[in-house]
Amino acid sequence: MIEAYFIHLAILVGIYLILALSLQLALGYTGLINLGHIAFFAVGAYTSALLTLNGVPFIIALLCAGIVAMLFGFLLSIPTNKLQGDYLALATLAFNFVVYAITLNWTSLTRGPHGLPGIPKPLILGINFSSNLKFLLLTIIIVSITYLIIKKIVDSPFGKVLEATRDNELATRILGKNTFKIKSIALTVSAFFAGTAGCLYAHFITYINPSSFSIMQLIPILCIVIIGGMASLRGTIIATIILILLPEPLRFIGFPSSIVGPMRQIIYALILLLILLYKPKGFFGKVEIE
Amino acid sequence: MSSTILQLLINSLIAGAIYALVASGFSLIYSTNKFIHFAYGATIAFGAYILYLFFNILGLSFGFAAVLTIAFTSFLGYVMNFFVYKQLRRRKTSSIILLIASVGLLILLESLILVLFGAGVKIIGFIKVSEGINIFGAMITPLQIFIIISSILLLVVISIFIKKTKLGKAMRSVSDNKDVSEIVGISSEKIYSLSFVIGSAIAGIAAILIGLEQNLEPTMGTNLMIKGFAAAIIGGIGSVRGAILGAFLLGIAENFGIWYLPSGYKDAIAFILLFIFLLFRPQGILGVKRRSDK
Repeated sequence: MIEAYFIHLAILVGIYLILALSLQLALGYTGLINLGHIAFFAVGAYTSALLTLNGVPFIIALLCAGIVAMLFGFLLSIPTNKLQGDYLALATLAFNFVVYAITLNWTSLTRGPHGLPGIPKPLILGINFSSNLKFLLLTIIIVSITYLIIKKIVDSPFGKVLEATRDNELATRILGKNTFKIKSIALTVSAFFAGTAGCLYAHFITYINPSSFSIMQLIPILCIVIIGGMASLRGTIIATIILILLPEPLRFIGFPSSIVGPMRQIIYALILLLILLYKPKGFFGKVEIE
Repeated sequence: MSSTILQLLINSLIAGAIYALVASGFSLIYSTNKFIHFAYGATIAFGAYILYLFFNILGLSFGFAAVLTIAFTSFLGYVMNFFVYKQLRRRKTSSIILLIASVGLLILLESLILVLFGAGVKIIGFIKVSEGINIFGAMITPLQIFIIISSILLLVVISIFIKKTKLGKAMRSVSDNKDVSEIVGISSEKIYSLSFVIGSAIAGIAAILIGLEQNLEPTMGTNLMIKGFAAAIIGGIGSVRGAILGAFLLGIAENFGIWYLPSGYKDAIAFILLFIFLLFRPQGILGVKRRSDK
C-alpha cells in the first residue's frame, strides 16, 4: 500500500521534472518569460489522449503529442518574438487562456468540461505499462532522455548563444546571431517536451478535462524554476523533488480532500512570494530574472 | 430585428459598465506603479465573498456590509503593496518580478477563498430578480439599470478625481516622471500606496455591483481580470479614460460576437482581442508609446 503511494508520487515527480526542465530551457536559459507553458502541456495531453482513444499506438501518440505541442510553440513564437518583458508574459498568459477556452468549448472534439475518460495505459511493443511500477520505469526513461537532450543543448555552443540572448539580445544580434530564430527554436523545443509530459500525464491519470490545465497548474512549475534558480538544471531537479513532496503531509494531517488542493496552492504561492522577496536568484541560480 | 440590435446594445452596455469599473481601478494602479497587478481580479472576488460573509452569513444590513466590503478591499490593497510590492521595489526589481509576484498573490487569494468559503456557487440575492422592463422590445431589469447608473457615476467621479484634485494631479505626475515628482516634493512611495488603496476601493465597489448581478465563484477573479485587463490594453493602458473606452468596446465586441459565434466562445473574444492588440498596437487606442520601451 505504502509502496503504491510512493510509486505514484515518483511518477508525478517525473512528469513535473519534464515540465520544469523544459520551462527552464525557455525561461532560465533563454530568458523568455513564458507563462503559457501549461498550454503546451494541455495540447500534448489532449493530442495523445484523442489519438490513443481512436486506436493509434501509444508510441506514435507520444511523438505526436510532442510534435503538435511543438507546432503550437512555433506558432506562438512567430507573433511574440518581438515582445519583451511584461508584454511577452501577458501574451503567453493570454495564449494559455485561449487554449483553455478551446478545450472547454470545442465539445465535439474534447467533450468540453466532461473531459476524456478511459485513456488507455501505454502499450509499447507488446509490453503493457498498466502497472504503476512499469509506468514509473517508462517515466524514468523519458525523464532521462529529456534531461540528456536539454543538458546537451545548454552545454553546446548553441546553449551559450541562448544565454547570450537572455543577457543582452541587442549585443548578440550585433555579433551576427539571428536572435529571433534562436528564441523561436528554444520555445519550440521547450514546447515539445512539455507536450510529452502532457502525454505521460494523460496516460497515467487516464482522465483529463480542461481544469487539469488551468492557470493554477502554472504555479508549481513556476515555483520550481524560480526556487531551483534560473539556468540551473541541478537546482531544478532538487526543487522539483522537494516541492512536489512538500505538501504531501497535508493528506495525513486529516484535512478533507476539498481543502488539500487549495492548501497546496497556498503553500506554493507563499513559497514563490518568499523566494522573490528574500532569495531572488533561487538556490542554485546564476542570474536574476529581468 | 431592430429590437434584437437594441437588446444586444443594452447587454453590451451592462457588460461594458462592469468591465469599465474593473479596468479603471486596475489602470489607476498601473498608471502610477507601472507593473501589472494581476491580483486585482482576485481582490474583487475576495470583496464579493466578504460582502456575502457580512450580509448573508452574519446578517448585517446591506449598506453596512457594503461599506465594510469597500474598507476591506482597500485594506487588502494596502497590505499587498506594503508587504510584497514595496519590499520588492526597495530592491529595485524589474516589473517582471512584480508581475510574477502578483500572479502568486492571485493564486494565494483564490485558494484562500476556496479554503474559507468552499467551491460551491454563492448567491447574494439582495435585490430579487424582478421582471424586466420592456424598452422598444428589449428587456432590462431594474438591477441592471442601477448597475449602469452607479458605474457611470463612479467613472465620472474617478475622472474628476484624476483631473482636478491635488492627489489626482500628484498621481499623474508620478506616473509621468517619478524622479522629477520626487524633486518637487511628491513622495512616490506614498503615491504608490495611495493608488493601491484607492484602486482597491474601486475593486470593492465593483465587487458589490458584480455580486448583485452574478453568482459568486472562487475563480471569478481571474475571468474579471482578463476582461478588465483586455479593456485596459484595448483603450490604452495607464490611461483611465482609455480603459473606460476599451471596456465598452469589449462589451460591444463580445455581445455582438456571440450573435455569430456559439455562446461558449464569449470569453475567447476578449483573449483574441487582447492578443491582437498586444501584437499590433500594444499602446492601445488612446495610449502613447512608452519612452522606456526598448
